[in-house]
Amino acid sequence: MNEYLVLVVEDDIPIRTLITTTLKMNDYRYITASKGNEAIMLSASHTPDIIILDLGLPDIDGVEVIERIRTWSEVPIIVVSARSEDKDKILALDKGADDYLTKPFSVEELLARLRVIQRRLIKAENTLVTEFINGGLRIDYVSGCVYLNNNELHLTPIEYKLICLLAKNVGKVLTHKYIIQNIWGSSADNNEASLRVFMATLRKKLNDSQQSLIQTHIGIGYRMMKL
Amino acid sequence: MPTEKKENHRLIPILKESAICLIVLTVATLVGYAFKMFRLTDTDIIMLYIIAVLVISIITSRMVYCLISSAVCVVLFNFFFTYPEFSLFAHAAGYPVTFVTMFITAFIAGSLANKLKRNMLIAKQNAKEKEEAALLAQNEQLRANMLRSISHDLRTPLTSISGNASTLISAGNTLDEPAKQQIYTDIYSESMWLIELVENLLYATRIEDGKMQLSISVEILDDLVLESVKHIRRSHPKRSIEVEMRDEIVPVLADANLIVQVIINLLDNAVKYSEDDTPVTISMRKEGDFAVVAVADVGHGIPDPEKDKIFEMFYTCGNRSYDSRRSLGLGLSLCKSIVDSHGGAITVRDNQPKGTVVSFTLPLGKVELHE
Repeated sequence: MNEYLVLVVEDDIPIRTLITTTLKMNDYRYITASKGNEAIMLSASHTPDIIILDLGLPDIDGVEVIERIRTWSEVPIIVVSARSEDKDKILALDKGADDYLTKPFSVEELLARLRVIQRRLIKAENTLVTEFINGGLRIDYVSGCVYLNNNELHLTPIEYKLICLLAKNVGKVLTHKYIIQNIWGSSADNNEASLRVFMATLRKKLNDSQQSLIQTHIGIGYRMMKL
Repeated sequence: MPTEKKENHRLIPILKESAICLIVLTVATLVGYAFKMFRLTDTDIIMLYIIAVLVISIITSRMVYCLISSAVCVVLFNFFFTYPEFSLFAHAAGYPVTFVTMFITAFIAGSLANKLKRNMLIAKQNAKEKEEAALLAQNEQLRANMLRSISHDLRTPLTSISGNASTLISAGNTLDEPAKQQIYTDIYSESMWLIELVENLLYATRIEDGKMQLSISVEILDDLVLESVKHIRRSHPKRSIEVEMRDEIVPVLADANLIVQVIINLLDNAVKYSEDDTPVTISMRKEGDFAVVAVADVGHGIPDPEKDKIFEMFYTCGNRSYDSRRSLGLGLSLCKSIVDSHGGAITVRDNQPKGTVVSFTLPLGKVELHE
């Protein structure tokens, strides 16, 4: 039996059934809500491990639900939204959502996202403050050195800041805006282009051309996967 | 201030056109002097002034310039050319009649010329409006064709999905497992096809006047290609998609979502129109100020006469399709619209020894690095 409790917030019944059926078949425990206020109450009373949240709810906006829950809880939130609404997704991520699913999504996609979150939850339980280890990647925060399969990588200061930021938020999708603010301290538009180039060079150095370590989310941002 | 601006706006053409009148009349007077030196008669000078008024009427926009310059002509003629010169008196008895005739002739000729010019302008504008209306009608026609074709395209998979589901509901118990599996697979693949169609449709609605509304930024080409390949690997997990990556980082100017959609469509076509056990290859290179992305398959290829037509809306080589897999007539025309709007070009050629290569170009982007 899977020990994770998932709160599913979705007002559309067929979609909710699809999600809960998938959860049931994969041994997750779940509770459901069809409204935003109900979701806030349930997340306070049942303290779920993961929340799957549709952004278009009948009573209050999904983004507001995230804001309210984030006032007391860091529970991972996966938002679900319709296609071609990048702005909504970015807003939700900036307000504290961890990941997003785009309708129409496949069952495999949903399960994959849940697994990413779970890996992160396990990691959160045994964190070391002086060191970050993820697959072949090791960051030694004390000496400021980064190793890939025990070979030291020669990173520029910006690249080092980038990899630390991604590592700190491993498993979470970070928006361009968030990264730029944390690295450069401003959100100037022209920085987005240089962010992409820095990320591409960093990825080359990490030998990650297939994006298994750092994922690009087109139009949204980047995420370091927990390997 | 806005009112001041508006007044300036009105004042500038008036000043400009008055200046034109002044220049033309000065030139006419100077030429008149030359005429006089060559001992030409008053009549020739009067004709000269009438020509000047004609010229003014054609150049300027309003009748009032014609009226004023006709009057000024008479005064100028009187002042400079009638005895006594440099005075507004005229001693010869016939002059008042000459002046009046000159004024009327100049004014009538001028106003006719002005009218002619205006009619021409109106005709030109009408032609332009007609052209615009035709374009609008063409767009409407395109939209209507699109809707008709789409409704038709939607009906088939929807019939299959609803029919299959109703079979499962009413007779699910009597079917054996392989039959059920077949029905599940059909429902799944038909709805996947619908998803792709709707995806393209969403982007197609952004076309206006054959051009696409874009939000361009500097993107890394590898990211766009990889995103598309991921998508295709999800929908065709069994096909082998080979990506020929370059070592260098290629920044391009692109609307990321749209270019991803282009690459997805090209890969999807390559997968659909070649055998399951053959590979599909995507490669990238730089060429001058452009990046080139090429998608190659080793399928049956496209005959030369059809190569130009495949980018037309709703054209499919479907009549001769050797299997029952449908393709979207929308796909390649959408790709062309998107690539054209980016200032690139999309082309198709034969692959060697067999198959098809569809490639498109994108302008390279420049990046200033903020360390």
